[in-house]
Amino acid sequence: MNIELSDEAEEYGRQARRALGSAGGDRLAQQAEADPHARGALVDPVFEALGAWELDPRAGSEELEAGAALCRSAGWWALAYPVAERLCRPRDLDVDGLVVIGPGPPAAPVGGLRMAWAAVSLDGWRAVCAASPLRGPVRKSGYVVGLEVGSFERGGQGDVALGLVLPCWTLLGMLDRAMSLTRAHIAAREQFGQPLAAFQGVQFQLTDAEVERLGFEALATHALWSIEAGRADAVDDALALRLAAIEAADTVFRVCHQLHGAIGFCDETTLSWVSRASVPLRRLPLNLAGTGAALTRRLGRRGLSGLFGPNDEPSPTLPALRPERR
Amino acid sequence: MDFEMGVEVEALRRELRDLVAHHVPSDYLGAFTDDPADLEMAQGFCRLLADRGLLCPAWPGEWGGRDASPWEQAAVREEMWAHHEPRGAQYMGVNWVGPTIMRHGTREQQGLHLPPIARGEVIWCQGFSEPNAGSDLASLQTMARRDGDGWRVSGQKIWTSYATMAQWCFLLARTSREERKQQGLTIFLLPMAAAGIDVRPIATMIGPHHLNEVFFDGVWVTDADVLGAVGDGWRVVQEVLSFERVGIARYARCERLLIWAPAALGAEWDDLPEDLHGRWARMVMHARRARLLAYRVVDLQSRGQVRPGDAAAYRIAVTRLDQESAQVLMDIIGFAALGEGEGLRFRRAVEDHWRYSISATVASGSIEMQRILLARALMAAS
Repeated sequence: MNIELSDEAEEYGRQARRALGSAGGDRLAQQAEADPHARGALVDPVFEALGAWELDPRAGSEELEAGAALCRSAGWWALAYPVAERLCRPRDLDVDGLVVIGPGPPAAPVGGLRMAWAAVSLDGWRAVCAASPLRGPVRKSGYVVGLEVGSFERGGQGDVALGLVLPCWTLLGMLDRAMSLTRAHIAAREQFGQPLAAFQGVQFQLTDAEVERLGFEALATHALWSIEAGRADAVDDALALRLAAIEAADTVFRVCHQLHGAIGFCDETTLSWVSRASVPLRRLPLNLAGTGAALTRRLGRRGLSGLFGPNDEPSPTLPALRPERR
Repeated sequence: MDFEMGVEVEALRRELRDLVAHHVPSDYLGAFTDDPADLEMAQGFCRLLADRGLLCPAWPGEWGGRDASPWEQAAVREEMWAHHEPRGAQYMGVNWVGPTIMRHGTREQQGLHLPPIARGEVIWCQGFSEPNAGSDLASLQTMARRDGDGWRVSGQKIWTSYATMAQWCFLLARTSREERKQQGLTIFLLPMAAAGIDVRPIATMIGPHHLNEVFFDGVWVTDADVLGAVGDGWRVVQEVLSFERVGIARYARCERLLIWAPAALGAEWDDLPEDLHGRWARMVMHARRARLLAYRVVDLQSRGQVRPGDAAAYRIAVTRLDQESAQVLMDIIGFAALGEGEGLRFRRAVEDHWRYSISATVASGSIEMQRILLARALMAAS
């Protein structure tokens, strides 16, 4: 058993976090919001220096784990840039990145970038697509735009798990940050003559959130290994991860906002920025209910692999999820 | 990365499953039922494991073990708990009484106690909790007073599992009153056959023969029964708790029952409400989550490291899983006939799981203590 990212991947993630911090850190998200069309230019030099777009997560475990660590670091700074989606770029298509789309209208947080995208449905139908222009303030849209999708072709089965898992690593970085900010806040903020952290009611809320974050992290690592190992049930594992990720994010941000009090909603606190940045990742391609339904459909009577599963049952007949051309 | 446990662990797991399949009745739900045959079966199964070096695999070969790795120990915990703990009460002697005696006992104590534990021939109970000392264990009042060349123990213990059948008690008692309540505590290895011990079973909704009150009325013990130094009991108890770092592999039974459900229900599975299928899938995910959190602790252990926060987080996650999965499984059986054969066995196993899950957040230390530990670790890292 070896259940942690490689030392090299962890170190790469640390370097990325430092580099993004030196390039502006929390200010990067604020600058992107002020000028959404410049959001790529803000971080391009950093990613160039990190060799980020030379990483090919499909090439093997080293690059996959480095990619995951990079996503986590981007999440830490609530970076307004689709790092995971760009890392998922299929090498056989002339596109800049890939997004997974659900059964609803295709959409992704890729607005304001002059890039070509591929979209893949949960059952592996893939199409080249173009992002619609940004509409309205990005503080509301979170850079989410509709996708104009071309003809779907088979061939994206190998993209689905990767396209689900790497954005979860970005979300994990956001949860890391939210917890770190909250620990610092409750240690410093005093009420009734003592730090908030001294109150057991506060401590217990914090532990609820931390258990969720740790469980999410454990599943994120497992789902990454499932891709690395080329396991047939990598999509099951990715959906299980996504369900845990959204549940964890819901709990962590609820607790972190509660413990920050009103100041946590204000843009002068970093939590407000991280919390807002997490929303598109939690809603797309499937929200909590949609992810649960998709996982349930896939598991059928089999369950997940583990000590006693999966059951030796045929895969359930899935309802057609192939999106229509829009 | 690699989440496979490796060929040696998988071979051990196959060996254990084979033994369970051949020697444990398919309707077995634990050693402590109204049927004495269940306890007899468990005692026989322990001897079977002992003959193969599987009863205390983590122990050194010198004392009847096989120096198993932390991953092999995890597999044993998983397989035993998943199959309703066919070792019965032995896990206590094997998991922490034996290792503590190895570490702190005299050669005489080791020679007296370790071989019977390794052979599965003896049952121990733990004399820790008292009516006014639960989570706050150091407040205990049971006294051992000097009397000639021995000690007289008087007081009351409570929630003492297996006390009706145990031959020995691992007793924590106060031998002096000091400035701090953690001081002046001493461990005694006390024979339950000694005069002055009165065991009274406590009727509970969990099941028969589990919890007891134990009264000590001037029970005589000698210096040879003291484990470690007089007054050093609190330090020893902290070590005892560290042997139980990962605790019970509750996730293994949850996963077994969850995965069993579709087969047990047969065609009725497809008729369950859609919402219930969704709750089942969610619990399957949570069982994996708890298992992976346990593996983080085992992984650290295998590298000689301890992070108390991780162990506490696992305990919180797995007890929550225990209770939530029990509720989902109870809802599932509520929609099915399950009147005979495999269906009936499944129904009984689920009902047993549900009853025991009620105590999951209390047994082996309340979950609030784990939350305090985790909060402490989190804030220390800030």
